[in-house]
Amino acid sequence: MHRGKGMKFVGDSRIKAEKTSQIPKDYSEYPGRTEAFWPNFLLKEWLVGAVFLVGFLILTLAHPSPLEGMADPTDAAYIPLPDWYFLFLYELLKYKYASGDFILFGILVLPGLAFGALLLAPFLDNGPGRRPHQRPIAVGMMLLGLVSVIWLTYTSASHVNWQERAEANKPIPESSVVVDTEHEGFAAYEASCMTCHGAELEGSAAAPTLVGIEYTPEEIATIAKEGTGSMPAGIFTGSDEELEQLADFIITVNESAE
Amino acid sequence: MSKEKQQVSRRQFLNYSLMGVGGFMAAGLLVSPIRMAIDPVLKKSDSGDYANVGLSVDDITTEPQRVDWTVEQVDGWYESEPSKTAWVYKDDNDEIVALSPICTHLGCVVSWEGNEQYPEQFFCPCHDGRYEKDGTNIKGTPPLAPLAVYEQKVENGILFLGNAIDRKGA
Amino acid sequence: MLQKVYDWIDERIDITPIWRDIADHEVPEHVNPAHNFSAFVYCFGGLTFFVVVIQILSGMFLTMYYVPDIENAWKSVYYLQSEVAHGQIVRGMHHWGASVVIVMLLLHTLRVFFQGAYKKPRELNWIVGVLIFFVMLGLGFTGYLLPWDNKAYFATQVGLEIAEQVPFIGTELKTLLAGDASIVGAQTLTRFFAIHVFFLPAALFALLAVHFILIRRQGISGPL
Repeated sequence: MHRGKGMKFVGDSRIKAEKTSQIPKDYSEYPGRTEAFWPNFLLKEWLVGAVFLVGFLILTLAHPSPLEGMADPTDAAYIPLPDWYFLFLYELLKYKYASGDFILFGILVLPGLAFGALLLAPFLDNGPGRRPHQRPIAVGMMLLGLVSVIWLTYTSASHVNWQERAEANKPIPESSVVVDTEHEGFAAYEASCMTCHGAELEGSAAAPTLVGIEYTPEEIATIAKEGTGSMPAGIFTGSDEELEQLADFIITVNESAE
Repeated sequence: MSKEKQQVSRRQFLNYSLMGVGGFMAAGLLVSPIRMAIDPVLKKSDSGDYANVGLSVDDITTEPQRVDWTVEQVDGWYESEPSKTAWVYKDDNDEIVALSPICTHLGCVVSWEGNEQYPEQFFCPCHDGRYEKDGTNIKGTPPLAPLAVYEQKVENGILFLGNAIDRKGA
Repeated sequence: MLQKVYDWIDERIDITPIWRDIADHEVPEHVNPAHNFSAFVYCFGGLTFFVVVIQILSGMFLTMYYVPDIENAWKSVYYLQSEVAHGQIVRGMHHWGASVVIVMLLLHTLRVFFQGAYKKPRELNWIVGVLIFFVMLGLGFTGYLLPWDNKAYFATQVGLEIAEQVPFIGTELKTLLAGDASIVGAQTLTRFFAIHVFFLPAALFALLAVHFILIRRQGISGPL
C-alpha cells in the first residue's frame, strides 16, 4: 500500500488513483482447508439458507397464521395464554413457591438469577478449558436450566386443548352476521340458546359459534333437543313449531353471513 | 514543560466543551419526548369514581345477587361503557358486601351456587375453583386469593360501587 | 456495460475496498459443513440473521395494511389475511418467523455455550448476544398484542399484571408499558406498536452491528 509521498489521487479528491485488487486473497498457506469467505463459503451458506427458506415457506403455507376473534375485554371466561416461548415463565407462576406470598421469588429472583447468570456466563465460567467436561458446573447449570424450561413448557402446553381452543376462538368478521330480531324464531333462540351461543351466534367459552355450521334444519332441531358434544340434552323446551322456527332462524343467519 | 501542560489542558477544555454542547443538544432533543412517554405515569389517576349500580339498599338480602352496571371509561381518545358485575349481599352484621366475580386464579367469572354440588359457595366453571360466601378461596381448589371486594358507599339508599380491591392470599 | 458502470463509480469513490473489507476473510475448515458435516452447528447464527431479515421485510410490508388502533387493528389484520392476495403468506412469514427466530437463537446460544466459545477474549460478544436475545423476547411480547385478538389482549394483560408485581416500581412500570394505570386499551396498543416497530428494532440493529463487527475483529473461535 502506498503511503505518504508519491500517492496519486483522482482530481482534487482524496480518492486514490491506484485501484484495489478485486481478486480474493490467497488462503492456501492457512492451516487445513481454509477457504475464502467470498465467494466460496458464502455460496455454501446461501445454499443452506435456500433449503431453509423452502422449509420455512412450506411451514407458512401449511399452517396459516392463527387469528382469534377480536379482543373483547368483557369476555371474562377467556383463559389467557402467552406465546409458547413465554409459557415456561407462565407455568412457573402456578407453583406454590413462585406465586402468592412467594410471587417475588417467581417473577424476579428465579428468572433474574437464570437470565443474569446467562448474561454473565463468561465471568462465572472463567476457567481456561473450553471443552464441556472441563467445566462441569457451568454445563450442569445450563443443562438443568434447559431441562426445567423444556419441562415447564411441556407441562404448561399439555394442559391446553389446542384444537378446542382454536375452534372456540375462531374469528368472525363483525359485518357478516345479520341477526333479524323480528324473525319468528328469534324469541326461541333468545330463550334457549343465547346465553351460551351469544347474541350474534358468535359463541362463547361455553359453546361454539353457530355461524358457518353445515347442518340441515332437521339436524339443528335434533341437536337443540338432544344436545351434542358437551351440550347436554333438553336445553330446548318449547313446542315443535317453535323448534322449527328456531332452526329456520339459525339457517337464515347463516345464509346472511355468506 | 509548562507549555506542554497548557496544551493538554487546552485539549481537555475543548473536550469538556464538546461534551457540554453535546449534552445540551441531547437534553434539548430528549426532554419533551421523554416527558411525553412517561406522561401516563405522572397523570393523576381519575379512577376511583363511584358508580350508581341501580340497586336500592333495601333490596339487598343475605342471599348474594348479581348486579350489572356500566361505567364510563375514557381511554385516551377512546370512550367506552364497559359493563361491570358484582355479587352483592348483606353479611351477618348487616353490612353490605360487594364481591368481584373475577376468579383470582385465571380471571374467569364465578357465580353463586354455580354448581349444584357446592351449595352456599361461589363456583368457577373454568377450573372448579370455589369460594366461601365471604369470598375466601377454599383451600385445595386452584385460586390462591379471595375474591376482590368493591369499594362501596350508600347515598340516598342507593348503592354506589367503586374499584375492586384485591385481598391478600389465604 | 455493468463493468463499465462499476469502474466509473469506483474511479470516483473507490468502492472496492469497502466490499473487499467484508469479503476478504478466511473461513477455517472446522466451521465448514462441506468438509465436516458436524460443523452445521455453526450455521445457526447465520440462519438466525436470515430469519431476522425475513422478519424485517415481512414486517415492513405488513405495515402497509396494519393500523394500530383498537377499533381497526383486528379488522385490518383480518382484511390483509383474508382479502389481500398473499396477505396470508406475508403474515404467516412474520408469525412463524417470530417463533423460528427464537428457536434458531436458542440453538446458536447453546452451540456457543457448549463449545465454551464465549471465553476470553470473546466475553463482550456473548453479552451483546444475550442482549439481542432479550430484545427478541421484547419484540415477541410487544408483537403478540398487535393483532388485537383475544389471545393477544389477555396474554398482554397477564404480562402487565406480572410487571405490576415488581416491588416499589411495579405500578409505575405497568403504567409506563400500558399507557394507562388500569386499562389495557387504545394507548397500550399504540405504545406497543411504537416499541415493536421503532424502539426495539433500532436497538436490535445497533446490537447486531456490534455483534458482527466483533466477530470480524476477533475471528471465529478455534476448534475444540
